[in-house]
Amino acid sequence: MAKPGGWAGKVLRVDLSTGRISTEDTIEKYKDFLGGTGIGYRVIWDEVPTGTKPFDPANKVVFGVGPLAGTGAPCNGRTAVTTLWPTCWPKPLVASGHMGGHFAAELKYAGYDAIIVEGRADRPVWLQIEDGKAEIKDARHLWGQGIRRTTVEINQQMGPEASVAAIGQAGENLVPMSVVINSYSHSAGGIGGVMGSKNLKAIGVRGTGSVRIAGNKEEWERVVKLHLSLLGANNQHVVPNSPQPWAEYYSAGSRWVASTGRQWGAAEPNIETGACNPRDLNKIAYRTNNAAFFLGDSAWKYTVRGNGCTSCPIRCHTVLKVPKVSSKYGIPAMGQNTCAGLMLGRGFFKTFPDGPKGETAIEACMVGIHLADDVGVWENYGQMQRDFQELYYNGTIKNKIGENEFRSYSWDKYEKGDPTFLFELLPRIAAKEGELATALGMGTGYLLERWSIPEQEWQKDQKVAYWKMGHPKHHANEDAGQCGVIINTQYNRDAQCHSHANFTRNGLPIQVQKRLAADIWGSSDAVDAIAAYTPMNIYKAKMAKWSLLRKELHDSLSLCNWMGPWIASPLKERNYRGDDSIESLLYSLATGDKKSREELDTVAERIFLLHRALTIRDMGTKEMRADHDTMPDWVFTDPAGKDAFTQGTNRMDKEDIKLAMDMYYEEMGWDKQTGAPTPSTYKKLGLGDVADELDKRGLLP
Amino acid sequence: MSHEKEKPQILPETLNLIRSSSQFSRREFLLISGVMVVAVSGLEAWGAKETPLIIMDQAKGLVIADPTKCVGCRRCELACTEFNDGKASPTVARIKISRNLNFGPKGLHAGQRGQGSWGNGLVIQNLCNQCPHPVPCANACPNDAIVVSPPTNARVVDPDKCTGCKMCQRACPWEMMSFDSDANKATKCFLCDGNPKCVEACPAGALSYTAWRDLTDKTPPRVIPTAVVSPEKAQTCIDCHKK
Repeated sequence: MAKPGGWAGKVLRVDLSTGRISTEDTIEKYKDFLGGTGIGYRVIWDEVPTGTKPFDPANKVVFGVGPLAGTGAPCNGRTAVTTLWPTCWPKPLVASGHMGGHFAAELKYAGYDAIIVEGRADRPVWLQIEDGKAEIKDARHLWGQGIRRTTVEINQQMGPEASVAAIGQAGENLVPMSVVINSYSHSAGGIGGVMGSKNLKAIGVRGTGSVRIAGNKEEWERVVKLHLSLLGANNQHVVPNSPQPWAEYYSAGSRWVASTGRQWGAAEPNIETGACNPRDLNKIAYRTNNAAFFLGDSAWKYTVRGNGCTSCPIRCHTVLKVPKVSSKYGIPAMGQNTCAGLMLGRGFFKTFPDGPKGETAIEACMVGIHLADDVGVWENYGQMQRDFQELYYNGTIKNKIGENEFRSYSWDKYEKGDPTFLFELLPRIAAKEGELATALGMGTGYLLERWSIPEQEWQKDQKVAYWKMGHPKHHANEDAGQCGVIINTQYNRDAQCHSHANFTRNGLPIQVQKRLAADIWGSSDAVDAIAAYTPMNIYKAKMAKWSLLRKELHDSLSLCNWMGPWIASPLKERNYRGDDSIESLLYSLATGDKKSREELDTVAERIFLLHRALTIRDMGTKEMRADHDTMPDWVFTDPAGKDAFTQGTNRMDKEDIKLAMDMYYEEMGWDKQTGAPTPSTYKKLGLGDVADELDKRGLLP
Repeated sequence: MSHEKEKPQILPETLNLIRSSSQFSRREFLLISGVMVVAVSGLEAWGAKETPLIIMDQAKGLVIADPTKCVGCRRCELACTEFNDGKASPTVARIKISRNLNFGPKGLHAGQRGQGSWGNGLVIQNLCNQCPHPVPCANACPNDAIVVSPPTNARVVDPDKCTGCKMCQRACPWEMMSFDSDANKATKCFLCDGNPKCVEACPAGALSYTAWRDLTDKTPPRVIPTAVVSPEKAQTCIDCHKK
């Protein structure tokens, strides 16, 4: 059979209990689910029985990529890792972690679209995948080692080009708050312990093959260049954060931080980013510097360069060189990460001697990167650090952990903002050493339960930013009003959806956003200015649906939802329009399976619906509206007591949110009473078998 | 991509020079050859046994790279193969990033003190030097499949002549010969006929297309070549270089 376009064509299945390795035909078995989370949900639905626990051998973990991974389509470097989620509280349910780096592309070049790992090895192993061959290897010599050492040793065996996804001591010790990391700094949270429970230390992948573009190569080149022309900076911010000669608008909150006078100060010699006119496609990589965005202007002088995933010109990871941390903390001067991973160390501290964006804060970030990305501790989008601060300063930690253990930590250092405190804390979390470290490593929901703190306590206060089920908000009402609230009710961990926020936070003035919104969702009323929200309307529900479907589409095609969709652009000559069909153009050309934007969104809806069905099945209730799609009380409060729908507040209104959920369920074809999808919706989207199974269990509305 | 299929015709003056002066230095010869279309080839003109192609027209263009600007995205590798070959394949790409990306050109033996994302962050791009004489890949090819292609005079693989023996891969000290296993043919940088896709694709402006200059003695070799030059070609070397 001729090699398919886009897909590698094979899914690898590895049973660690029996050592059996087999393959399945991707297109035959999974084409209706594209790849990525689509394959992941399908495997969990078909093969992992209700009641399975995350660390049971019966749980499966699916490393899935899609037809665009490994191609030159911009922003395709992400691997979706789907499994039963160990920090989902009170009952583990399906969720996915997402890692960038070079693993996704390498997996495709090695001949696979996904890896299904099942069972449990009887001793530590690692999985070697090389050009269509897979082998389970002894990992006893790697067990107990950090991620960095493990990666280097596997690269010594497989060669320097292999991409290695490894867990650290945290994963080995079955810490739920643990990661798998590939390409130095690209992590998928929540996965470490699941791999550890399978005695799987790492997966090394090396491929010398190719991904075929089915369509005409000149046409492909044209579409790729169109896509590149629409890109903004990280999170698709399409205006710069300071006035630039080319720019009509600017917005202080933009991640497009390049400017004349700003330099990668640790490049040798320094490199000026320049003004980065968006029409110059040879300057895209300079637009974003997330170290400078998150850590402040002093990070510029430590910036060596941008880094990131295969094929992505955005470079949201920043390579930093901070020489003084070597002498001060005994750690390497080099470090890199982005966003939450970059800020991991800083997040534990309430104050620093020189302020939140000073030098000590940067040092704390470097120490955090050095420790957490080696032992493999996950921070749950900053929730671990917010929990820690809250629990320390309200006296809970002192009360809960016993005097001896309490005294074993240098709290004076902690209160002063001394980064050396992290050496006391992070390795202990990975080792489950003591009550505090063990509790933190369980994730918020289980920590609160262990320490008899009602979840509602955590849901009162906006500053803790906790949402539900053990996880925080992730682009909720503070970024997109009711649309953000709806989105944050839908997943079994933090929502990780950026489709909406990448639009509302893109930096364009609200009147421009409204004009673009009318094109996409049918009315300019779909969007409000941030913190100037208006009551719910149907267009906001349409935007929420669109956002969720695009997230699942991206997670299944291997496009980055931290960048897409691309419905706005930095180009004045396009009236700042992007292109809502860029995903379908890329998909159709890469695979040769021509699908319109609407047709591809239907596939995405099927994938998202399967996630919903899995959640219903494993919760064992159809009462999703009451029991799952919930929001914390702080959503309906304002720190200054402002009323909902007044200027300057993110406060939502309870009755209005009820209406929002009604409208959303209606848009989705779900029952309004229960929030459960109707049988006809399942059938319409090709999931009749799923509906039948739910019917047997009495889980249809 | 287009290829120069005919062997370049040798100019009689050059032949006379070669024949008349055994003291002829390599330097002088190259100086002359720079202004003439020269290839020691097609010697039937004066009745000798056919002597293989050895000297090629100087290339006119070259892709050069600034490692301090490389951000490791590999868009150059992907543009090279997608826009030319219709597939994404860093292995086939005629610009090489992946192999230096993690640990630098010295690989793991430099550990974390090396280059690449695991070292000091520097990503060294590997590019074809479009060698002046000698052109190791062309010399090693038993089928004379590596030829000069106008207008850039890039050294390119003629797929009709290439038999996939991989001798050229063993000849290049910089490991810049790629092999396309789907086609079972060698391939190399052909400068995209003067509009290199990699240069256009770099989001950091780390690549430039410039007038050719000799970087062969500036670029550290990656390997010791192990290809064998055929006795006929070796004889041609001796013809020019003998004292």
